[in-house]
Amino acid sequence: MAGEDVVLMKGNEAIARAAINFGVDAYFGYPITPQSEVLETLAELKPWETTGMVVVQAESELAAINMVYGGAGTGKMCMTSSSSPGVSLKQEGISYIAGAELPCLIVNVMRGGPGLGTIQPSQADYFQTVKGGGHGDYRLIALAPASVQEMADFVGLAFDLAFKYRNPAIIIADGVIGQMMEKVVLPKPRRRLTDEEVLARCPWAANGRAKGRKPNIITSLELDPSIMEQRNIHLQKKYAEIEENEVRYEEIECEDAEYLIVAFGSCARIGLKAVEEARAQGIKVGLLRPITIWPFPSKAIKARAQQVKGILALELNAGQMIEDIKLAVECKIPVEHFGRLGGIVPDPDEVVAALKEKLIK
Amino acid sequence: MKHEIIIAGFGGQGVLSMGKILAYSGLMEDKEVTWMPAYGPEQRGGTANVTVIVSDERISSPILSQYDIAIILNQPSLAKFEGKIKPGGILIYDGYGIIEPPTRKDIQVYRIDAMDEATERGIAKTFNMMVLGGLLKLCPVVSIESVLKALKKTLPERHHHLIPLNEEAIHIGMDIIKKVE
Repeated sequence: MAGEDVVLMKGNEAIARAAINFGVDAYFGYPITPQSEVLETLAELKPWETTGMVVVQAESELAAINMVYGGAGTGKMCMTSSSSPGVSLKQEGISYIAGAELPCLIVNVMRGGPGLGTIQPSQADYFQTVKGGGHGDYRLIALAPASVQEMADFVGLAFDLAFKYRNPAIIIADGVIGQMMEKVVLPKPRRRLTDEEVLARCPWAANGRAKGRKPNIITSLELDPSIMEQRNIHLQKKYAEIEENEVRYEEIECEDAEYLIVAFGSCARIGLKAVEEARAQGIKVGLLRPITIWPFPSKAIKARAQQVKGILALELNAGQMIEDIKLAVECKIPVEHFGRLGGIVPDPDEVVAALKEKLIK
Repeated sequence: MKHEIIIAGFGGQGVLSMGKILAYSGLMEDKEVTWMPAYGPEQRGGTANVTVIVSDERISSPILSQYDIAIILNQPSLAKFEGKIKPGGILIYDGYGIIEPPTRKDIQVYRIDAMDEATERGIAKTFNMMVLGGLLKLCPVVSIESVLKALKKTLPERHHHLIPLNEEAIHIGMDIIKKVE
């Protein structure tokens, strides 16, 4: 990376700037640490004066997600962001959006819970993100950035996937990635889609009564269970297609690895340093980083399970992703968990110590 | 070359902004940089710290177990970070904030009385730049030219007239830093 295009900024700021550059139509949010810089940056840059992007500080998280629901129903690119307690408040709306099959972006810069918890980093919303959160059989396309660059890149990727599958997408970051400053190259600025372009892309959009066209109805309600079952079957088919096509992950130092650390987001960065330290001590360990935590890279992990003697699930929670790893390897090799809780972030030495204690012995 | 640095002190001492200037200076030299603050309630008067990494290569973790360089501006931070400096590493402390000096013998310890100096000269706000100057004398993590470029880039234009004062502070810092034997 070199040249004038390289800038230094926080992950939260990168989200906001990338959204403007990508031509997002609307942001609806409510401030909460550690993601407030998303809304702050948007307010500072006033994109409504340049690209025409709407930015609203809603009266609450509930209002914000339902504004997203309304905006997304018109085929516009709409997003919201929050941190754990705020994302909990949004769950009803998220379930409705998934049920109505609307594309949108939700950003969760996680903090320690449960409850109001703490403002420090955490990954304890893994279950909430990939196992539901809201009610009903639905899935979110969940991207987990591990750098400020990925915070910027995943805004566009999330919207592309959301529109491709008519499904909400979520960027699942944490306080480390949101608050850290790193080098980043932002996406090239582009204009927002015109109303005609939006309609061409989203023939399902509720854009007002058009002459001669049947009304488009956006709803998650269907009282006839036989129709509702068909709708669910359709959703499941779509999710299977996403699982088939959209799994993303990164493998580092895995070729000769005897042990594997699986970690996403900030933990993948700490895990990578732990890999460096462990290898300096002669321990052959690699890192597998799920970039999508749903769809989960089960096949890749299963494949590595043929080769390694054990897996360490490194996550800032009490053991959530480890369940998906165990399912992936069908319990054929030992899978252990290491994490700190409630906003404490482990340092790389602790990870190496845990690797030795729990797996190598 | 990689420099793994912790800067720690009280909230309001310019700990985070010193780190930011260092990170921006690294950016000016096309280096890889990370700036990771402890972003808790520290801003309201508790202890504040920031980890800055400036490297020629890709940086793995922004969170570290050990540091090459520790810049310590108050007693609680010394207690927290003295033990986390790599053997042979550098510890810089400000004499004003430290009553019980560091005790480790396997690291290089330097003292800078930047708070006293800055207060005496009536330029207390340049305190952190003096400390930065002290660091740059011992270990040229980045060049002074890059620091000045970074200041120009990060300060709003209405504050650009303060850049010469900051440059002076860097040079004062370079003069007053002393090795503790």
